[in-house]
Amino acid sequence: MGGYGDIQLLRDDGLRLDGRKLDESRPVTIQAGILPAADGSAMVTQGLNVAVAAVYGPMEAHPRKIQRQDRAVIDVRYNMAPFSTSDRIRPGFNRRSREISKVTAEALESVVLVERFPRSKIRVEIEILAAEAGTRCAGITAASVALADAGIPMRDMIVGVASGKIEDTVVLDLDKAEDNYGQADLPAGILPNTGEIAFLQMDGDLSPEEFDLAMEYNFKAAREIHEIMVEALKARYDGGDN
Amino acid sequence: MVELVPKLLRQEMARLAEQDARIDGRSRFEGREITLETNCLYNAEGSAKVTMGKTVVYAGVKFEIRTPWPDRPSEGSLMCGAELRPVAHRKYEPGPPSPESIELGRVVDRGIRESGCIDMNSLCIIPGEKVWGVMIDIHVLSDGGNIFDACGLAAIAALRTAVVPAERFDVGEDYTLSVNGTPIMASFTRVGGRYVYDPCEEEELGGDERIHITIGDEGHVHSLQKGLRGVFTPQEFAEIFEVAQEKCAELRKLVAKKEAK
Repeated sequence: MGGYGDIQLLRDDGLRLDGRKLDESRPVTIQAGILPAADGSAMVTQGLNVAVAAVYGPMEAHPRKIQRQDRAVIDVRYNMAPFSTSDRIRPGFNRRSREISKVTAEALESVVLVERFPRSKIRVEIEILAAEAGTRCAGITAASVALADAGIPMRDMIVGVASGKIEDTVVLDLDKAEDNYGQADLPAGILPNTGEIAFLQMDGDLSPEEFDLAMEYNFKAAREIHEIMVEALKARYDGGDN
Repeated sequence: MVELVPKLLRQEMARLAEQDARIDGRSRFEGREITLETNCLYNAEGSAKVTMGKTVVYAGVKFEIRTPWPDRPSEGSLMCGAELRPVAHRKYEPGPPSPESIELGRVVDRGIRESGCIDMNSLCIIPGEKVWGVMIDIHVLSDGGNIFDACGLAAIAALRTAVVPAERFDVGEDYTLSVNGTPIMASFTRVGGRYVYDPCEEEELGGDERIHITIGDEGHVHSLQKGLRGVFTPQEFAEIFEVAQEKCAELRKLVAKKEAK
């Protein structure tokens, strides 16, 4: 985290710079089935973030050494488009995207009923088209909707949410300035129906009490975003244009 | 299966061609419905989304300040690249850029560069010291056939909306990039023995060679590319070149209409 700075992130009226309350998410929109070539797909916008996910499979797992005899493997690629950030990103994997891909895959493997598809592979491609802090969470949300859109059985969807700390105050869903100049970031992947956690990272500085409040905010956001996810999937099958 | 399906498709394509029909019901030189959105991505200095049938493509423009080449001290640079990432189709594998994606990026690049729509001298900040490097990155999200035309359209539409981020780089005030022209690509694939415009996925799978033609505002051709195995006659080219003129003029109007809004 950027740590303490001279930059003011909370206004004198107690609201955040963009006018949000402490426990308020940026606006979220979700569309399912937006990529015709994929078996399942979704687009999530959260504030100015744009995350797209495509799912292919289950398909034969290649190369063979990645096959598991008793279950499917989930192959996740999280990638930021070259034009998604302020400074252009050179195409290709980097350490950050590899790590996010790995932990996202492990989170999704804990909700998808992978034992139904032994020796197979499910490909999940997450593409970030515009980044304004919180892209891994938007990516997880998009991946969950895309998996559901592909008809892949899951125990629950995962909602990607994050809280953090700015000016010694816990807030929900950090935007870019808050992420850059804040004191902590706590992204989590929450199963809204079971209340379990499939994804968790954190960096910065939080007291146990602050952690509890941040997680409380995360669960609140997960419930809200889950409703939008469900609506997006329903809308996909209401229109009849599949 | 990999070999069998194209073989059956080829037979079907030949049968359809005899009746002058196409697999999706279009006539020979009829394009699919196109949607164009511009300035749709935060952080990109110019952006566009194009959908053509089942094809979905984004393009984003970024700028950087670089030192000019010693022999061209007052010229900036333009680069256009395309990525065919595994998101776009199950046939695409992760890994370093494939020959297909390099060809795609270069063909789009040539059409824009050679049309002269960007005056490289206008990208100069301080001669011999600082010039703008303009980068157009094309991101194919769904390959439903004819990604070349979709990429070409997204790239020029994104470029034409681009704002030079001079303030962020501390070299003056932001200004709209000057783009003099709208080069447009038209692509044809041989399907069932004859060329069709704007091939869909099945037609590419069950077809032969393809030809890409980029045409500028004055009707001049700025880039050509013949791809895949197969040969064609000058007469065949003459026919599709004429169609390309008409198609490119139509699409140029679509870009202008979008900008007028």
